[in-house]
Amino acid sequence: MERHTTRGPAATRRAVAPVRRRRRPPPDIRRHAITAVLLAFGPPLLLLLSASLRPPGLPPPAAPPLLPTHVTLAAYAEALGIGGLGRAALNSLAVCLVAVPVSVLVAAWAGFATTRLPRRAAQGVVLLSLTALMVPATALLVPRFALYRALHLTDTLVPLMAPALIATSPLYPLVYYVAFRAVPADLYETARLAGFGPWRTWWRVAMPLVRPVTVALATFTFVLTWSNFLDPLLYVYDRDHFTLPVALRSLSTLDPTDFPVFLAGAVLATLPALLVFAAAQWYMRGRTGSSEGTVT
Amino acid sequence: MSDRRQAAAMLAPYAAGLALLVFAPAAATVALAFTEWDAISPPRWVGLANLRELWGHEPFHKALTNSLVFAAVAVPARLALALGLALLLHRPGRRVGLARTVALLPTAVPEVAYGLLWLWLFNPLAGPVNRALTVGGGNGLTAWGALPPQWLTMPTPARAAIIIMSVFTVGELFVLLLAARRVLPAEVYELAAVEGAGRWQVFRRVTLPLVAPVLGLLALRDTVLSFQVSFTPALVVTDGGPPQGATTYLSLFVYRTGFEYLRHGFAAAATVVVLLLTAAAVAAQWWLLGRYRSRYVP
Repeated sequence: MERHTTRGPAATRRAVAPVRRRRRPPPDIRRHAITAVLLAFGPPLLLLLSASLRPPGLPPPAAPPLLPTHVTLAAYAEALGIGGLGRAALNSLAVCLVAVPVSVLVAAWAGFATTRLPRRAAQGVVLLSLTALMVPATALLVPRFALYRALHLTDTLVPLMAPALIATSPLYPLVYYVAFRAVPADLYETARLAGFGPWRTWWRVAMPLVRPVTVALATFTFVLTWSNFLDPLLYVYDRDHFTLPVALRSLSTLDPTDFPVFLAGAVLATLPALLVFAAAQWYMRGRTGSSEGTVT
Repeated sequence: MSDRRQAAAMLAPYAAGLALLVFAPAAATVALAFTEWDAISPPRWVGLANLRELWGHEPFHKALTNSLVFAAVAVPARLALALGLALLLHRPGRRVGLARTVALLPTAVPEVAYGLLWLWLFNPLAGPVNRALTVGGGNGLTAWGALPPQWLTMPTPARAAIIIMSVFTVGELFVLLLAARRVLPAEVYELAAVEGAGRWQVFRRVTLPLVAPVLGLLALRDTVLSFQVSFTPALVVTDGGPPQGATTYLSLFVYRTGFEYLRHGFAAAATVVVLLLTAAAVAAQWWLLGRYRSRYVP
């Protein structure tokens, strides 16, 4: 009702009626389109799951029925046994446990510090980050390889954790920078009057306010680190230090026709990423639900 | 510590990381492009010889063409699909939440696992894709009597397969465009309805200009990424073939030249070409974005 008074009554009378009719596509088309999305994006992963439940040694029959007649976890046992995926999963986990927190910290610190810089310097940080984003990965492989070799770090897990120093992607400090800048200035002012230095302001005032950003970036960082394939391919040669993606690749080259086994491995590699995604989504949903509740 | 010192200390790890892991290596690569280096004996200065060799190097031409074609097809397709998904799913409704989650799922799958999945899906004999295509036809033919595509054994279908794979992983673009669409003011759409604009006109005159800046930036990023995302599928799914080099993109070419043939100087020269191409693509899109903005945004 309030909005009606801000515009002319004649305009609103004309506006209200056609809005609903014209703006929304007919529900049928929209419903069919949504069904099409489900049918296009759903099957690949369902097929992955169903193929991994078939007995190893046979190529999975491609035609329906979707569900295998003999559901078995034998392919999983073989993937874990022959492929050494268990050990590889532990390595991947170790990398993530170090790299993800460090990466998020580096991003948050850099983003916050940038809000404290003079305008020119802040623009410099943004520009450097954007430039770093544009550098193709292939431009970095050989010199990084030489660097790690000179430091005797090849064939350890350290090169796989190292990207945490650039926050995994130079995009993430920029995301934090934008988020911290959006925090109302009087909150920072209050913190300053209370005698908080940048460090305490960051931890006590800024971080709690951007928690959704932290959750989202931690999720992306985890998925990127967990799926990292190129780095271990180049810097790790000893099977004992393989991470999950490399171990999976070597499992698939072992017997390229034994689909159930390496597809079971693919499911195992995918599950943690999906779990982290689900946890983040659950957190976000709980959060938006509660904040909507308090505001209205 | 003074305030300024504390801020500097917070920035230090990131600055060190950028210098050590991005800018120094990138500079070193540019320098290496003028040398011959097998990673064992010290690099030997050869001047422009590498670049001159690239000029007439058949596999490099092939990789360059493959990468450009991939970018020219995959980037617009990915953006169009992500935008379509965002516009379709930005309003709540029946099964919208489910559709959003399902559209995000393929993006969460680790690249190698995703590649292995498609390796099976595209298998010309046992793969579900061709089994679906031959439903209703006999003798391994489609219902309309044609041979189904020999996905991973013929050059063109293999290239198409890599592009199809890449189109399903638009989760990030979708999420960002969804956010961009949700912040557009409802009043503009009400006004368009008052003017009696049809659905296509609303899209062209209202939605598209308003999301254009975001779309432009995403196009930039996706173009840069397109030189890299083709690496894992090309290695895992098609192994750069078939036949020789049909799906060898620049990233795979650089990897093989450097780490398999130990010609790091030559690989670095190819990388410099990628750098220049990236810079040119960024500049061109930046210019287009500027022109578009000056036309639509007063």
